[in-house]
Amino acid sequence: MRTTSVDLHTLTGAYAVNALSDTERTAFETHLARCESCATEVAELAATATRLGAAVDFPPPPHLRARVLAAAAETRQLSPHTPRLPRTRGWGRAGGLLAAACLVAVAFVAVQGTQSDRDQLAQLSSQYSRFSDLLSTPDARLVSASGPNGSTATAVVSVSRNELLFVSKDMPAPPADHVYQLWLIDADGPHSAGLLAPPSAPLVATGLSNARKVAITVEPQGGSQVPTGDALMEIALA
Amino acid sequence: MADSPGPPAASRDGRPTDFELVQRLAQGDRSAFGELYDRYGTPSYSLARRICVDPELAEDVVQEAFLALWRHPARFDPTRGSFGTWLMTLVHHRAVDAVRKENTQRRRTVPLTDDVSPPVEGSEHEALVSVVSAEVRAALHTLPEEQRQVIALAYLGGYTQCEVAKLTGVPLGTVKSRTFAAIRRLRGTLGNLWAGETGETTGANR
Repeated sequence: MRTTSVDLHTLTGAYAVNALSDTERTAFETHLARCESCATEVAELAATATRLGAAVDFPPPPHLRARVLAAAAETRQLSPHTPRLPRTRGWGRAGGLLAAACLVAVAFVAVQGTQSDRDQLAQLSSQYSRFSDLLSTPDARLVSASGPNGSTATAVVSVSRNELLFVSKDMPAPPADHVYQLWLIDADGPHSAGLLAPPSAPLVATGLSNARKVAITVEPQGGSQVPTGDALMEIALA
Repeated sequence: MADSPGPPAASRDGRPTDFELVQRLAQGDRSAFGELYDRYGTPSYSLARRICVDPELAEDVVQEAFLALWRHPARFDPTRGSFGTWLMTLVHHRAVDAVRKENTQRRRTVPLTDDVSPPVEGSEHEALVSVVSAEVRAALHTLPEEQRQVIALAYLGGYTQCEVAKLTGVPLGTVKSRTFAAIRRLRGTLGNLWAGETGETTGANR
């Protein structure tokens, strides 16, 4: 099927209210880059659409501000002029992390396909309804590990969605001014998957690529670019 | 982190403009980031919450949108419109992406054929009654009913044109022309300027 340019011009409205499918959106944006009148019209119509949304009133929960700011504190800014730094920088630490992880007694529980697996998935589904899509993916796989002081951690991995949900339980509070940080470890070493703040907060990591393990370390408040603390827990994904 | 002294071209009340805050943010200034959150956190969350329904999903969406701003502030192009419009568009995109992924969520959120078949009632009706301000409601009510329906399903429901066509049983071409007519008409009644909480109603390039 072919979209004529006449069609494209009339897509300004649908584009402004974001009602195009992904492929249509891509096609239209290609057109937009070359059509000044459409670009102008889109800018105006988008501003109008924004008025529709701005009139909706749900006050955000108070903790959201701290959460957003904390997430920014652990996120590197991209300079407009320099390409993204390769993530392999600082891999000298990776060996230390892996070595430290080996010292931790880790019990892997492979429960895939068993009744308890399904029960646990069902329980997680109801507990974390926003993850129900991930949890109900046909290839969702569940792996668990135990950590210090009787704590446990569970990861639900979906290769097809390229996502992982990490939930821990009974983790002791991290030392003052420190935070737990989750790492995805692939052949290149660890990549930050985010902070567990509070420790029991579920975390979704995307971009699994070839991650073989996840690990938790204790890091200074705000997190680190590369792991600096000892691994408290490690879960093999493969 | 102390606020850096504002550039001379500050807004009338002495507070930095959105664009000045974005520029400071680009230098890694976290207080500027916090200030932008204070200005746009509420409208961002409100929009995300309306589309996602699930409060936690809405929080994720707001966080993602603000992180995208933090990571790459240069993506905002002041020559293309105001910061508020840009950010709300970003939030809308993230929310719609999230909701399109969460199929189960969507089915629960917006009843499909049942409520939509009588065109007045249904998800868009609920949106109008419960959360949309009088001004916008009034503007929407100046639209012919069939236009109001498509715009509410599209913008506040997060549906694509194809989905709206399926939901309403109206041919896709008609949905497209109604969307186009509706938003253009709203441009006339609502105007196209961002009227956020900051009082900054003009594009940063003015």
